[in-house]
Order: sequence, then C-alpha cells, then structure tokens
Amino acid sequence: MENSKKISIIVFAGVIVLFFVSWISKTSGFQSTGLPFGASVRDGFLITLAAFLTLAIISFLYKDNPYYKFAEHLFVGVSAAYWMCVGFWSTFVGNFIPKVSSTLSGFFEVPYKGFDIFYFVPLILGIMLLMRLSSKVGWVSRWSLAFIVGTTAGLNLIRYMRSDFISQVSNTFVPLLVEWQGTGHFFSNFNLSISGQFVMMLGNWVIFIGVFCGIIYFFFSKEHTGFFGAASKLGIWILMVTFGASFGYTVMGRVSLLVGRLTFLFRDWLGLIN
Amino acid sequence: MKRQLPLALVFIFGIFMIIQYFVPHESSEWVFEFLLDWIYIIGIFALALGIWSLIRVSWDKVKYRKENWFYSLVTLFGLFAMIVFGFDYLRNFQTAEGLQNFMFRHFFDYIMIPIQATMFSLLAFFIASAAYRAFRARSLLATLLLVAALIVMLRFNPYFGPISPYLEKTASWLLNVPNLAAKRAIVIGVGLGIVATALKVILGIERAYLGKD
Amino acid sequence: MRQKLIIIMCLLFIPALAAGQESVITADSSLVDTITVVPPAPVTDLIAYDKNNDHGHAIILKWTPSADDGAGKKNVLGYSIHRSLSPNGPFEERGIAAAGDASYNDVGSKERESADYMADHVDYYYKVRTLTADESVYADSEVVGPVQSYGQWFNTDRWMVLIFVIGFMAIMIFMINKARRGAKLFVRRLAGIEAVDEAIGRATEMGKPILYVLGLGTAAEIATIASFTILGRVAKKVAEYQTGLIVPCYDPIVMTVAQETVKASYMDAGRPDSYDEDMVYFVTQSQFAYVAAVNGVMLRELPATNIYMGKFFAESLILAETGALAGSIQIAGTDEIAQIPFFVVACDYTLIGEELYAASAYLGREPVLLGSLKAQDYAKAAVMVIAVIGFITIHFGWDTFVEWFHVAN
Repeated sequence: MENSKKISIIVFAGVIVLFFVSWISKTSGFQSTGLPFGASVRDGFLITLAAFLTLAIISFLYKDNPYYKFAEHLFVGVSAAYWMCVGFWSTFVGNFIPKVSSTLSGFFEVPYKGFDIFYFVPLILGIMLLMRLSSKVGWVSRWSLAFIVGTTAGLNLIRYMRSDFISQVSNTFVPLLVEWQGTGHFFSNFNLSISGQFVMMLGNWVIFIGVFCGIIYFFFSKEHTGFFGAASKLGIWILMVTFGASFGYTVMGRVSLLVGRLTFLFRDWLGLIN
Repeated sequence: MKRQLPLALVFIFGIFMIIQYFVPHESSEWVFEFLLDWIYIIGIFALALGIWSLIRVSWDKVKYRKENWFYSLVTLFGLFAMIVFGFDYLRNFQTAEGLQNFMFRHFFDYIMIPIQATMFSLLAFFIASAAYRAFRARSLLATLLLVAALIVMLRFNPYFGPISPYLEKTASWLLNVPNLAAKRAIVIGVGLGIVATALKVILGIERAYLGKD
Repeated sequence: MRQKLIIIMCLLFIPALAAGQESVITADSSLVDTITVVPPAPVTDLIAYDKNNDHGHAIILKWTPSADDGAGKKNVLGYSIHRSLSPNGPFEERGIAAAGDASYNDVGSKERESADYMADHVDYYYKVRTLTADESVYADSEVVGPVQSYGQWFNTDRWMVLIFVIGFMAIMIFMINKARRGAKLFVRRLAGIEAVDEAIGRATEMGKPILYVLGLGTAAEIATIASFTILGRVAKKVAEYQTGLIVPCYDPIVMTVAQETVKASYMDAGRPDSYDEDMVYFVTQSQFAYVAAVNGVMLRELPATNIYMGKFFAESLILAETGALAGSIQIAGTDEIAQIPFFVVACDYTLIGEELYAASAYLGREPVLLGSLKAQDYAKAAVMVIAVIGFITIHFGWDTFVEWFHVAN
C-alpha cells in the first residue's frame, strides 16, 4: 500500500478515535453539571460534531482534503434544504395560502385572510417558471422571468437615480471658500484642527477635485491623454488611496471573526479557557 | 409569443414601476405592493427548480460513480434529512412546527452555524495572505494602496510614540475626505450604469436573459 | 414691680400675637384656595387642508399659537387636536401638539380594518383646544371645515427625478439612434475586458475549464443582468474554442437565466450539441455554503480562469484568494463598493463599479450598446457642470438651485 494511503488511513483512524474521546469526555462533563444521561450524550455529540466541522473547514487552509469535502457537501445539502423549508413555511404558507384558499389555510393551520383573486397571478407565473423543466414548453418560463426582470428594472432605475445619482450630485455642492471673511481672517484662523478653516477648506477642495477626477477616470468615450489623462491619473490615485484605507479598515474586523471561532474551540469544546 | 410577449411584459412592468414612483395615489401604491409580493411568491417556485437541479446533479454523480461521488451522497443525505426534519418527520407536515423541530434546530445550530462562522473567520487568514501578496509596492498605485492601508491599520497603535496621535488624525482624514470623494465618484458612475442598464432592459435592447429559441 | 408687669404683659401678648399670626396664615391659605387657573386665549387663524404629495388619509392643520403661549398669562401646556364628521360634534381627540407648536399632521391609516382608518373624500371638521395644567380649564378655537383628504396623482416634490429620468432617456435614445445610423463611437481600452479574451485563450491552451461566478445577486439585480450579458459572450467564445465552462449559481432564477444564456451562446457558436445543462447548476442559497462549494470546485477542477462578475459581499476575498492559491487568472467586476478593494488586491484585473456595466458594450461592440455608453458619459459631464453651478450658487447665496436637488424620499 502506498505511503500516502497508509498515512490517510492512520489520520482517519486518529480522527475517529479523537471524535469518540471528545464525545465521551463532553458527555461526562455535561453529566457532572447535572444534565440527564440522554441529554448529555446528545449535547456531547453535537458539540463534538460542531468542533470537528469547524476544524474540517479550517483544514482547508492547508489544502483540500476529505474532511473539508465532507463538511462542505454536508453544509451545501443542509443549507439548501433549510432555506427551502423556511421559504415554504414563511412565504408560501404564511403569505400565499391564506389569501387563496380557506381549505388549504385550515389544512396548514394558518389564519385565513380572505380570498384575493390577484394572488392567482403569481401562482400561474410560478407554475410557468416550473415549465422550464420541459424542453417543449420551457419557453413559457420566459414570461415569469420577464415579469420579474421588468418589475425590478423599473424599481432599480428610480431607486438608483434618486439615491446614487441625484443625492450624490447634491452632496457635491460643498462650499470651497468656507466662511470666507477675507485673507486676514483666514490667516488668523490658520490651524490644523479638524474645525479649523484651513483643514475644512482643504477637505472640501479634496472632495471636489477627487469627485471630478474620479468621474473623469470613468469616462469611456475619450482617450485619457493630455489634461484629461492627468486628471484621470489623479482620479485613480485617489481611488487607490480609498481602496487601501477600506482594506486597512476591515482588517481588525476580520481578525475578530477568527477570535470568535477560537473562543468556541478553546472554551466551549476544550474547556481550556473560562 | 416566445420573445415578443416577454419583451412587452418587461416594458409594461418596467414603465409602470417608473411611473408609480411619481404617482402617490393609493391605487398606484396598491398595485406596487402587489407586484413586490408576487415576486417573493414566484421565488419559492424558483427555489423548487434549484433544489431539483441540485438533486439531479448530485444523483448523476452518484449514479455514474463520478469523481468524489461519495460526497454527493453526503449532500443528498443532508438535504433530505433537513427536509424530513423541516416537515417534522412528515407527521406534522401541515404546520410550521417543523421549523421548531428539535433536530431541525440542532442541525441549524450545530452544523450550519459553526461551518458558516468558520468560513467567515477564514477571512482573517485570507486578508493577511492578500495583504502579503499585494503590498509589495511594485508600482506607484500599489504603493499608494499599501501606505493608505498601513496608516489606517495602525491608527490605534500606541507604540509609535509621539507620532501616534498624528497617525490617528491622518487615518481619520483619509477615511473622511479622499475616501468620501472616491466613493462618491464610484457611486455616481454605478448609479448611471444601473440606470442605463435598467433602461436597456426595459427598452428591450439588453435581452441576454431571455435566451434564444 | 414695673419690670414684672412688663414681663407679664409680654407673656400675655405672645399668644395673642401667635393667634393673630395663625389667623393671618389662615387668611393667606384661604387666599390660596381661591386662586383658580384662568382660561388661556384660544389659537387663532386655524386652517386645515389636505396633505400634498401623498396617498391620502392625511390632513395638515396650522394655527397661530395662543397669546398666552410663552407670553401673556404663560399658562399654556400644549394643544390637543379634535376632529369630527360634523361641525357640531361629537369631536374625538386626534393628537397632542406641544406648547409653541403651530402645526399638526393628522395622519390616519389607509386600512379599512384598522381602528385608525381615515377615509378619503369625507368631510372633516377640526378644532384645536389650548390646554393648561388644569384639565378642566381650556380654550377651544373656532371649528374649521369641511376639509377632505385625498391622494394626489403626481408627486410634485419629485419633479427633479422626473427631469433626470426623461433627460437621460432622451440622451440615450438619441445616442442609440445615432449609433444605429452608423456613427463611429470611440471607446477607450479597458484592461479588464481585453483580459477576458486572453484568459479564455489561456484556458483553451491549458485544457482547463473556465469558472464563471455570477455573484450572490438575484436575477433582477442590475449587476447580475450585466453579468448575464458578459456570460453570454464568454460562453460563445468557450463554445467556439471547445473549452470547459463551470457556472455554479447561488439563486435558482439566476440558474434558469444562465442556462438559457449559455445555451443560446452555444447555438450562436454553431455547437448546440456541446451544450451540457449540468455546466450551469444550482448550489445553495446560503452565502457561505455557496462559497465553500465554489472553493471546492476551484481546488478540484483547477480552472485556468476565474471570472467573478456581479454582486458580491463578504465572501469576495475568500473566493479571490482561493482562486489565487489555485493558480487561476482572475478577472472580477462588481458594483459593491465595499468589495472592490479586495478584488483589486487579490485579482489580476478588476472592473470597478461602472466598468462592469460597460463591459457588455466592450465585448460585443454593438453600436446600440456603445451608444448607451456615450449617453452615460454625457450624463457624467452634466454632473460636473451641475457641480460647478452648485459651487457658484452656494457662494452667491442662491439656495434655490441647491434646494432643487434635495429630493424627499
């Protein structure tokens, strides 16, 4: 037998042994807190399973391996069914059934809200979508798609025109000469504090020029040469500073996520920390 | 019928959603709320299509003993187990009791949540490896990115002695001023791009989503 | 003897003084019992009218505050608003306004079943009661009415949005028509777009598939729609070169549309038989389960090229880094501003924001799409002109121009 296969079998055996050792120790730990035997066995198994799945995912950092594959495939199956169940009970039974059928409402034990014929439209459109499975009448599903795509296209057009365009244009109206009361007044208030006239004016100028140059960078129909090219270059520099700042800003947040998982492993599973 | 009617539907509903924004009257609002409700309900039928696709692809791998077929069995096991629990062992499938079902909740708490949280926590490692690869300052742009990131990352570090307060002020200025300017430029561009694409979809110019006969 | 007499008289006098004091105190407290709260002056100039730019079921009241509110007797605690269906009552209280207030919005529910239902096109009568610390002491204004609430057919507050929508539509239709008539429209190079063709060629040479990730948006998200167009172009090239294509999907409707798109591309390329429906498959609608599965695909299938186009969230860095570890060329495009830095850092080419929407025009070079790109550029130029005008008007104190751009929600 190849060495790698031998090693895999030894590792697998080790994992199984470790799993059972952990299960037994967690069970006895729960029992010592007064939990009944059955509940201790169940909770011991579940904590051990959660810890092993955690380690299986972390093992991905080393390389792809059977434990990661197992955890990944289990996660895919469980999560797909989870959202299906939640979607069925909350939207279909919770939102749709009470408005179309008193019989079905009684069957599913949800309060009947009165018949609304308009709710047959999504039912028909939904069935049309399911016709996708047939090669002969699959084209009928396009009508449902058209409804969804058209509705959200119109909604998004207005939403983004207002929030991403007009509001942003309005926010660009910054006073470039902040409380300008003459050169004498400006130099007497020349300081680097955040509320100082100089810093505020500098900030507003940077915002104004930054927005201009950023927009110029995104011009597609003109070659970036000459003055246009210089402004575009300044734009991409400001964009890079932004991306660096955003990157740096999220680093600590991401590290804190790891701290959370390590706390679970060392506290809840191994009991090494309080 | 196969293409013209869907294009007409896209146009009608798209234009209606634009017009309804300007019409505050109750009747317009009533239709608007209905349309949004309908989208959620149709989404459930689409979910059935998705689950069917997952089952078919996984079963094909098992049936034809393709590579890693065993793991597709694990997927199918997880899927069907969760469905059975979600409908309360098919005994009490009439009610949403399934969602309160003991095993359903425990599968969620001890399988989904740990794996989800661990995947999220991998970001800590990946952000470090991305920083290592990117921060080699091989060009001016990479240098700008690196310097800005370092200033913001180290802004609360007290070990830089007398320059620490200036580091914090610089980081704060970077986050509030050039960051704001660049994001505004991107947002304006994105807003225009979305509006233009939405218009193209409504007018039938963009029709890749309809496929071909 | 004389001293003793004085002391005795003092001793006698003290109780008399005390008695007198009590009677004075008694007299004072009786004075207190008789002080009453004086009714305040009522509000004046009360008007009521339908609230504008709404769906109805709301009426606005305005008045001049009582003369005793903050002045005069200064005994006003607040105002209560009363409504009736007839001028003679009975009136029901609708709400309270604080002292100093001069207006109130009477907003009712539009649901008939609600206890707060306020019907439209019904005559209402209002009065405002000026309140004091004593509940029984108040002053009512004149009754105003009849006034009816009703919904409007056009929201005049949103006229600026209408102008922009019509204006942009007009520019776009004009540029598209110009392009259709054969006008040559120049677009500059975009490195990320040019890299797509190179990346497909690389995958073909290596004999490895291309992984295309449509993101976590729904089929109705504009970023996903833009991604469908790019997928169509990529799939057509992939079909021509007979390279493999893997498209794992997060959303089932996205899967449906992606299957249609890829199938159409294969038919366009003249290779309908090469199309395999399992190229495009649904994974799960859970964010990190999807990421775990795509990571697995990257490490097992070892695609030569990873293309990420669409809506991405926190998982963007996990995907990009795993792809980098697998040694794939990576091209990303998203409009999620928070994720762009991660793609810039981890991918070989990144389409930033609007470039994602421009990609379809770049890849197809269809005049109609180039025309819309030109229209976007004109709109951006308009933004710059408006910003300059805004700066000038601010400094001359012409607030009207700035106010035009404050659109209420």
